Amino acid sequence: MSLTDRIAKGLEAGWKVTDASTLTDNQTHEADVVIIGTGAGGGTTAEILARAGLSVILVEEGRLYYQKDFKMDELTAYASLYQEGMSRVTKDGAIAILQGRCVGGSTTVNWTSSFRTPEPTLNYWADNFGLENLRPEAMKPWFDGREERHTVSPWLTDPNLNNDILRQGCDQLGYSWKVIPRNVKGCWNLGYCGVGCPTNAKQGALTTTIPGALDHDARLFHGLRADKLVMKQDRIDHLVASAMSADTVTPSGVKVHLKARHFVVAASAIGSPGLLLRSDIPDPHNRIGKRSFIHPVNATVARMPEKVDPFYGAPQSIYSDEFNFREGVDGPAGYKLEVPPLHPAMSSGVVPGHGAEQRDNLKQLPWMQSVIALVRDGFHPDSPGGTVSLRDDGSPVLDYPVTDYLWDGLRRAFHTMAEIQFAAGAEQVRLMHLDSPWLNSWSEARAAIDELPMELHRVRLFTAHQMGGCGMGEDPRQSVVNGFGEHHHVSNLSIHDASIFPTSIGANPQLSVYTLAARNSVRLAGKLKG
Amino acid sequence: MSHPPHDQKPFSAMDRRSFLRAGLGGTLFLGTVSVTAGLSGCATAPAGRLNAAETQVDDGYQFQFLTHDDIELFRALLPAIVGPALTEEPEPRRQAIAGTIERIDQGMVRFGPANQKELRKLFDLLNFGLTRVTVARVWSSWPNVTTSEADAFLERWRTSGIGLFNNGYIALTKISNVAFYGHPEHWHLSGYPGPPEWAMNALPQFNNA
Ligand SMILES: Cc1cc2nc3c(=O)[nH]c(=O)nc-3n(C[C@H](O)[C@H](O)[C@H](O)COP(=O)(O)OP(=O)(O)OC[C@H]3O[C@@H](n4cnc5c(N)ncnc54)[C@H](O)[C@@H]3O)c2cc1C
Ligand code: SF4
Repeated sequence: MSLTDRIAKGLEAGWKVTDASTLTDNQTHEADVVIIGTGAGGGTTAEILARAGLSVILVEEGRLYYQKDFKMDELTAYASLYQEGMSRVTKDGAIAILQGRCVGGSTTVNWTSSFRTPEPTLNYWADNFGLENLRPEAMKPWFDGREERHTVSPWLTDPNLNNDILRQGCDQLGYSWKVIPRNVKGCWNLGYCGVGCPTNAKQGALTTTIPGALDHDARLFHGLRADKLVMKQDRIDHLVASAMSADTVTPSGVKVHLKARHFVVAASAIGSPGLLLRSDIPDPHNRIGKRSFIHPVNATVARMPEKVDPFYGAPQSIYSDEFNFREGVDGPAGYKLEVPPLHPAMSSGVVPGHGAEQRDNLKQLPWMQSVIALVRDGFHPDSPGGTVSLRDDGSPVLDYPVTDYLWDGLRRAFHTMAEIQFAAGAEQVRLMHLDSPWLNSWSEARAAIDELPMELHRVRLFTAHQMGGCGMGEDPRQSVVNGFGEHHHVSNLSIHDASIFPTSIGANPQLSVYTLAARNSVRLAGKLKG
Repeated sequence: MSHPPHDQKPFSAMDRRSFLRAGLGGTLFLGTVSVTAGLSGCATAPAGRLNAAETQVDDGYQFQFLTHDDIELFRALLPAIVGPALTEEPEPRRQAIAGTIERIDQGMVRFGPANQKELRKLFDLLNFGLTRVTVARVWSSWPNVTTSEADAFLERWRTSGIGLFNNGYIALTKISNVAFYGHPEHWHLSGYPGPPEWAMNALPQFNNA
């Protein structure tokens, strides 16, 4: 294996990394801080606390995969790197949930778009959740710091045609567009970010904060699922965790107990509220799991006259915020427009259909272009989000009702996406909807979109951005943690991940997670050292 | 995958209407109806390794989740889902279908216990004669279902006004499409040339020889 690979080198140099599937005996370990989850939030927290000289144990349910495993193959990647082998859905099965389950969490499979939390979002939080300390001015230095840590800068290489068509369509129609900042270093412009970056160019948790923490003596257990935080009086005493067997999904029977002065939960939206619910963490106002958000995504595909090759090139490089905050922060649902990469397995799962029709759909893949809309949920009384609860076996599940308010936004988004694709020269456009035919012109599309039922299952919906469920706020009746991610009722518990957002972000969330986790970890380190 | 428990409600207690009511009113993914192993014979055990007579091609694959009945179900459905993309030549066609069923099994193993349980309900519903006839309206047992009958079944579930059936349609076609079109041997069907050659040549993980 290449000696330039940070992980391979670190393992060789004796990092304290344990593959829990190899454990044969129950055991107990102890540290200053136990961190659950190794994604955007967990990684950041681990590096900052370990560098401050605290002893840290990281717990990750998924396994450690790194460069040697990243072979640009969809089927292996979906089975090993994603939650529930890429089969995670909302409770009624209507929304597909893309979420990471491996060391590095979703950052190992994300598409590297790196946006600061939009200012209207931060101000909305201050105005509605008492989060005065998170105003844009106060957060600026923290964003600066994390952009440096993750090498974030606008993508200066030409966008691939898939993205450029979004730009062209916006130009034609007078809609604003911008170049996306990405967290990459020496990117080869390959397009495989979603299946694990094969070159280590992506500066997600796996190549930055996780190695940073392990260099500073942090211990990592992977293939170890956090089951329950056990309280002793009003503090958490220890975590009970289950080792997974080599198949990655079945517990082997070995239990690991982890004791610490402080516990940081960073298992992300769905995962973190799930753990708190399993642990019966005090929740006098029934807030855990509530207000879970997903940036519901709908999509259109276009057939272009020229080859697009949507499987190659940086997956996301152009976006449009024309419709995101246009109606005000809390008006009718706004949406951000982006482009998804299209590889064969993903495309055949996203484009609904079977038989000859599906064969003919997929035959066109090299000429296909797709636009997605990410609806900004949680900013309006008619968008209260979903609820995380536990299934019989204790695993978390998200119930997410799609309200009329959201359907209205999704329908408008269909209009905009089709309009943009035809303006950019599409020959035909199809909505990701069970009833949509290929549409031949913008006027035909407009009429069809007004007619087609906006219903669960018929409209194909997705989410790659899970947020909320352990929302922050100053009022304990409304929230689970305060503006520093500190639990309102349990003094040695913090939450450092996307689950603390009180609304959705209105932009791809990773930089928001990195930034808040960094700010809150610096404070936590000070407290624990002091 | 452990065996489904034997304490589930026997189907005889339900009829099609109450199934639909439960489905319409509830938020379950084809929930509330699950046929016990007792009713459907002992078919809910993973099929393990099929013998050569069953597969015509014994490649030694061990099924970990799909049962013999599930395999029959997919043998009947795949010609309707991906058949048109396949060669008509019997032997390669049979092999492509067998390989796709194996990849479906492999994928489902990683779905984890909770989603496996949902799939088990769906497959039991489709495999158990009474529900196959009353709910799916498929009159013959799956090995005797023609491709056009399988296609008609899929169309019914796709166009149904009942979300539960749409969901079943998506579950069956998505896993099949992904396992089929996502397989390197079928990439040419979507005009995907595979990962760039130059990058594979330059990357250490492809040069382990
Ligand atoms: C395909 C895809 C593309 C994306 N693209 C972008 C993008 O371009 N830009 C962007 O900003 N965002 C993107 N995102 C989203 C972004 O990566 C996430 O919002 C972000 O990583 C969330 O950080 P987190 O710390 O909350 O959770 P994660 O990074 O997901 O980490 C949580 C970790 O906790 C682990 N865990 C869960 N439960 C347990 C348990 N019980 N015990 C132990 N461990 C547990 C999980 O396995 C996971 O590894 C994308 C996501 C996906 C899936
Ligand atoms: S596009 Fe860049 S960051 Fe993404 S997988 Fe390729 S090399 Fe890695």
